[in-house]
Amino acid sequence: MTSIALRKDIPSAELEKSQIAFSHVTLDLGGKTIIENVSLDVKPGEFLCIIGASGCGKTTALRLAAGLYQPTSGHVSFDGEPMRAPRRDVAIVFQDYGKALLPWRTAAGNVALALETIGMPKAQRPARIDELLKKVGLPNHAAKYPAEMSGGMQQRLQIARCLAQEPKALLMDEPFGALDAMTRQGLQDEVLSLLDASKATVIFVTHDLEEAIYLGDRVVGLLPHPGRIGIDLPINLPRPRDQLTTRENPEFLRLRRELFDFIKASEA
Amino acid sequence: MNWALTLWRLASFAVAAGLIALWQLIANLKLVSPVFLPGPDRAWAALMRGFSNGTLLDKTIGTLEHMFYGWLVASVVGIALGAMIGSSRAMRSYVAPSLEFLRPLPVSAIIPVAIALFGLTQGMALFVIAFGAIWPMLLATVHGFGAVEPRLYEVARSLHMSRLAVIFKIALPSASPDIISGMRLSLTVSLILAVVCEILAGLDGLGHWVLLSARAFRSADLFAGVILLGVIGYVTALAMSMIEQRLLRWRTSGH
Ligand SMILES: Nc1ncnc2c1ncn2[C@@H]1O[C@H](COP(=O)(O)OP(=O)(O)OP(=O)(O)O)[C@@H](O)[C@H]1O
Ligand SMILES: [Mg+2]
Repeated sequence: MTSIALRKDIPSAELEKSQIAFSHVTLDLGGKTIIENVSLDVKPGEFLCIIGASGCGKTTALRLAAGLYQPTSGHVSFDGEPMRAPRRDVAIVFQDYGKALLPWRTAAGNVALALETIGMPKAQRPARIDELLKKVGLPNHAAKYPAEMSGGMQQRLQIARCLAQEPKALLMDEPFGALDAMTRQGLQDEVLSLLDASKATVIFVTHDLEEAIYLGDRVVGLLPHPGRIGIDLPINLPRPRDQLTTRENPEFLRLRRELFDFIKASEA
Repeated sequence: MNWALTLWRLASFAVAAGLIALWQLIANLKLVSPVFLPGPDRAWAALMRGFSNGTLLDKTIGTLEHMFYGWLVASVVGIALGAMIGSSRAMRSYVAPSLEFLRPLPVSAIIPVAIALFGLTQGMALFVIAFGAIWPMLLATVHGFGAVEPRLYEVARSLHMSRLAVIFKIALPSASPDIISGMRLSLTVSLILAVVCEILAGLDGLGHWVLLSARAFRSADLFAGVILLGVIGYVTALAMSMIEQRLLRWRTSGH
C-alpha cells in the first residue's frame, strides 16, 4: 500500500474502500468459460497492470470492468455500486485507436464529442479542448483529421477524449501495443505524469512485462484457459519513475524475473 | 502531376472537338438525311432560338423539377428507411434479402401500376421517379449503417450518448460515403425516369419536347433537347461529386 501513497496523496480512509471490485466473477462467452472466479479489488488512485499470455482473457477482464460485458456469475462493482452498464466516469482507451476515433472529425472535434455528451456549454468547449490537447502533447494539431496523424498521435488523441470524460477510472487495453519502442516510452512517461495530476484509478493491460512494472503500483498476472488470477505483486519502486534508473533498479530486475518465470510457467 | 492533368484535359477537349467536327462533316456531306441528322451548327441555332423565346428554358426547368422532386422524395424516404433497416441486425437479416429481390425489378414494370393509380399526372411521375431512384440510396444506406465500426458504438455507450446522438454523430457520418454514392447513382436514375414519364404522360419537360420534335421531324430541335439532357446529366453529376469531395474531405486527406 505504501506504493500508492508514494504516487499521490490519497486520504487513508479512501484506501480502505475499493473503487473497482470483482467478486467471484465468471464469464462464459460462446459456451466457453473465458474468465473463472476472479476476485480483485482496485483501490482509488491505484495503478494496476494486468499481464498474461496472449488469449488469457486480459481484454475480457477489462471489458468486464468497463461494464461492456456482464458476468455470468459473481459481480463487478464500482464505488460500491453494481456495474450494470458502462459509466461515464469510467473511460476506456482501446488498443485499436484507429477504430475508436471518429475519422470525419478533427482532433478538436473528437475531443468535443465527449464534451458535447457530458453537456458542457458550447462556449466553454474550445478552451477545454485546447487544454486537453496540450496536456497530451497535441497543441498544434487541433485541426488535423485522424488520417493525417501518426499512430502515437492518434493514441494521444484517444487519451485526450477519455480525459475529457473526467473519469474516476481509466481502463487501458494495450494502449501502446502497436507503437514503436521510442514512442512507447515517451507515452509511458506522459501517462504517468497525466495521471499523477488527475488521481484517476487505472487498470492497464499490457503483454510487456517491463511496461507493467515501470508503470504500476501493482501487477496482476492472469493464467489462461480459463482466465484466472495467478500472481498479484505489489511494485515498491520509488516514484517518479525514470526510464533509465528505474529499469536498472535491482528490485525492477527481480520483479521482471518473477513475472517472466510466471509467464513461462503459465504457457507450459 | 498538374501538368499531366492539364494534358489530359486538353486531350479530352480535343477528342470532343474532333467528334463535333466529324458530326459536322457527316452532316455537310449529307451521309445521313438532314431530316434525321442536323449538323452541330443547326442544332446550336435551334438551342439558341429555343432559349431566346423561352420555350427551352421552361422545358429544362420542367425536367429539372421532375427529376429533383423525385430524387428528393427518394432521398428522404430511402435514407430514413435505410437507416432503420441498417441499424438493426435483425432487420438487416430479415429485410435485406427481400430488398435484393425487389431491386432488379425494372421500374418500367411499375409504370403501368403507377398510371393506374395516379393517371397521367405529375403525381404519377413523382411516384415513378421516386420509386426508381430509391433503390441505390436505400441499399447504400442499409450497407452504410450496417458497416459502422462496432468500436464506435462502444465509445458511444461509454459516453452514455443518446440514441439520437448516436445516429447523427456516429452512424450517419460513418455511412455518409455510402449514402452519397447512392445519391449520385439515384440522380442519374431520376433524370432517365423524368424523361420517360414526360414522354409517357405528356408532362412539360425536355422528354416531351424531344418526342414532339421527333414527331414533327424537327431534327434540330430534337438534338437541342438531347444536348440539354446531356448537359443536365453532366452538370448534376459534377455538382454531386463536388459536394462529395467537400463533405468527405476527411477521407481523402492523406499524410
Ligand atoms: N466474444 C467472444 N466469444 C467467444 N470467445 C471469445 C470472445 N471474446 C474473446 N473470446 C476468447 O476468450 C479468450 C480471451 O480473449 P481476450 O481477448 O480477453 O484475450 P487477451 O488476453 O486480451 O489476448 P491478447 O493478448 O491476444 O489481446 C480467447 O481465447 C478468445 O478467443
Ligand atoms: Mg487483448
